[in-house]
Amino acid sequence: MGKGQPGITNTIRVLRFHAGEMTQAALAEKVGVTRQTIVAIEQGRYSPSLEVAFRIAAAFGVPITEVFSWQAAD
Amino acid sequence: MTFKEMNAAVMLLGAVVISAWVLTGAIGDPTLTLSAVATRLCWAILASIVFNIAAIIVFTILISIAQGREFRDEVADERDRLVGAKAMRNAYVVASLAGLAALIVWALGYEVTTGVYVLFGGLMLAGAVDAGSQLVYYRIG
Repeated sequence: MGKGQPGITNTIRVLRFHAGEMTQAALAEKVGVTRQTIVAIEQGRYSPSLEVAFRIAAAFGVPITEVFSWQAAD
Repeated sequence: MTFKEMNAAVMLLGAVVISAWVLTGAIGDPTLTLSAVATRLCWAILASIVFNIAAIIVFTILISIAQGREFRDEVADERDRLVGAKAMRNAYVVASLAGLAALIVWALGYEVTTGVYVLFGGLMLAGAVDAGSQLVYYRIG
């Protein structure tokens, strides 16, 4: 996906909280990316590839639509 | 700061230092032959490599001491590769312009050595743009 897209939001912070305040480093290790990448995704500065998006969803055991959502620009 | 950001900062610093050194030499002795200029630039490239290696080692040790834990590189992921590709694209534009600038300098009838300096300076600038772009992309996405 590349640079963060304006219409894409995510609930990673909330999901980490519900996962026992999972750290960004722990999530990064589960997903197979660096902690900085998780930070960038969480802050909306970077939109991950489809594979990494699925990996993040799998790390929380939820469907991808529960992690990422997209709203068309008006 | 991550290891990759530090690496980019060191590359940027190295490009500035070596460029300044070459520029000082070029201004100090503008009558050098092409062979002498080429030799000087080869030494500059070698100095650049040595500077980067030494600076990375020194900064890694200093940051490790400051953080109280080992400061080391992580395996590159898709974002690192994307940042590298975008920075390389910017550097490629600058390097291309440097080539064009050198050709224009020669076309205008300036000394061959002047064009060589322009080409070398442009390539050092391309390296600086690559490193600077990485720093920007890592920070702002």
